[in-house]
Amino acid sequence: MVDPVTTRRWLYRGLFLVLATLFLFGRLLPLSTLPSAWPAPDFLLCLAFAWVLRRPDFLPVVVIATVFLIEDMLLVRPPGLWTLIVLFATEFLRDRANLTRDLPFFVEWAMVAAVMLVMLLANRLVLAIFMVPQSGFGLTLMQFVASVAAYPIVVLVSNRVLGVRWVAPGEVEALEHRL
Amino acid sequence: MARDRNADIDYVARVRRILIAVLVVALAGIFLVWRIDSPRVERLRAALIDRVVPSFDWALVPVTKVAGMIEGFQSYARIYEQNQELRRELQTMKAWKEAAVQLEQQNAKLLAQNKVRLDPKLTSVSGVVLADSGSPFRQSVLLNVGSRDGVMDGWATTDGLGLVGRIAGVGKTTSRVLLLTDASSRVPVTIQPSGQKALLVGDNTPAPPIDFIDAPEQVRPGDRVVSAGDGGVFPAGILVGQVALGADRRLRVRLAADYERLDFLRVLRSQPAERINDTGALIAPIVPPAVMLPPPEPAGTDDLAEGADG
Repeated sequence: MVDPVTTRRWLYRGLFLVLATLFLFGRLLPLSTLPSAWPAPDFLLCLAFAWVLRRPDFLPVVVIATVFLIEDMLLVRPPGLWTLIVLFATEFLRDRANLTRDLPFFVEWAMVAAVMLVMLLANRLVLAIFMVPQSGFGLTLMQFVASVAAYPIVVLVSNRVLGVRWVAPGEVEALEHRL
Repeated sequence: MARDRNADIDYVARVRRILIAVLVVALAGIFLVWRIDSPRVERLRAALIDRVVPSFDWALVPVTKVAGMIEGFQSYARIYEQNQELRRELQTMKAWKEAAVQLEQQNAKLLAQNKVRLDPKLTSVSGVVLADSGSPFRQSVLLNVGSRDGVMDGWATTDGLGLVGRIAGVGKTTSRVLLLTDASSRVPVTIQPSGQKALLVGDNTPAPPIDFIDAPEQVRPGDRVVSAGDGGVFPAGILVGQVALGADRRLRVRLAADYERLDFLRVLRSQPAERINDTGALIAPIVPPAVMLPPPEPAGTDDLAEGADG
């Protein structure tokens, strides 16, 4: 007997993997090999944050670690570091998923922006300590701004199109009890 | 029942905490290993990319081609102006062609007089661009030729007209080309006609600046920039681009290679330059090498062996 809640959960986990593959694929396409003046937002990070705040059960730690480690390897980043930072950030947000439910979206947005900024600074700090050559600070900051701007869009799409919404307290348990 | 459930949640939470701790240690370990033994991890990365990206090949190439077609379709809107422009250019080209034919004949004559032997080792392998770096902070592309085709780290890559970059990272069937625009790219160049040596320093902009020029006043916008053979990095004399004055008053290079659309790249096989390591040896009369004569009879060998024993 397959429990519908579990099925749904695994379906969304699969969907996240498919979306991550698509984002990665889109980024790897050699459409323009000129350096861009305005870097594209980090959609995958926005998606992970939006989901982890709404449905933490859709994104277990292992899924996040796997996806971001693969991204680290394919995008020629120092392997492991960014994944580690993303792991800490998602755990931080996961613990606050219940708090943000009742707050207006604006507060959630500000919190996500703050977390992204801390992630960026932590990344640069660790790289500086280990004396790894880094790209310019301006470009990183521009990507941060782009990602923060893209977050509401990602939330909207994942809300309306993909149906990742808040669940009322006890809804999952109620479903589980009924079955 | 309720107590059971609480114990269950407690147990799950504890397992989760252990899992997170294990993941954190593993990830930090990966980063540390990468920092300590970078080449080994980079080789692992090259092998992983070698596995993953060519499996996307069936999708990467058509999507790129379709995007190119859409771009091409948009340019139909300006077809009349383009036609006029091409006619004008064709006129100029005809004049240049005449000049080129004459120069070719002259060059052939001069070469024959000089008995110049062009380097026969400078051959090339061509590859298709599979993917780019995918990150706004890194400028590199992935080619579908690798160690299987004899590609080696450090070889120069051109798009047929101008220098594009150098090979940095080779997998079995793929290799990564670090573009001249990447922030970690440093290439020695010569600026002609003044013959100044300089360094082309990538900085994530479409036109990389030139650094370490001896006499900047001798360099003018429009001068040709070619690669220099200094340091044995590149074969000398590959066209890089033209000097231009950037908006920030720095001398920059407008690259000759078409970075808008890198489709096919040519990897130049360059042999490492021979080095002279030892000092001159004594010049002595040549001694003819001693020739071992085969023994006439088996008995003779026995004697010899006995003699050696005794």
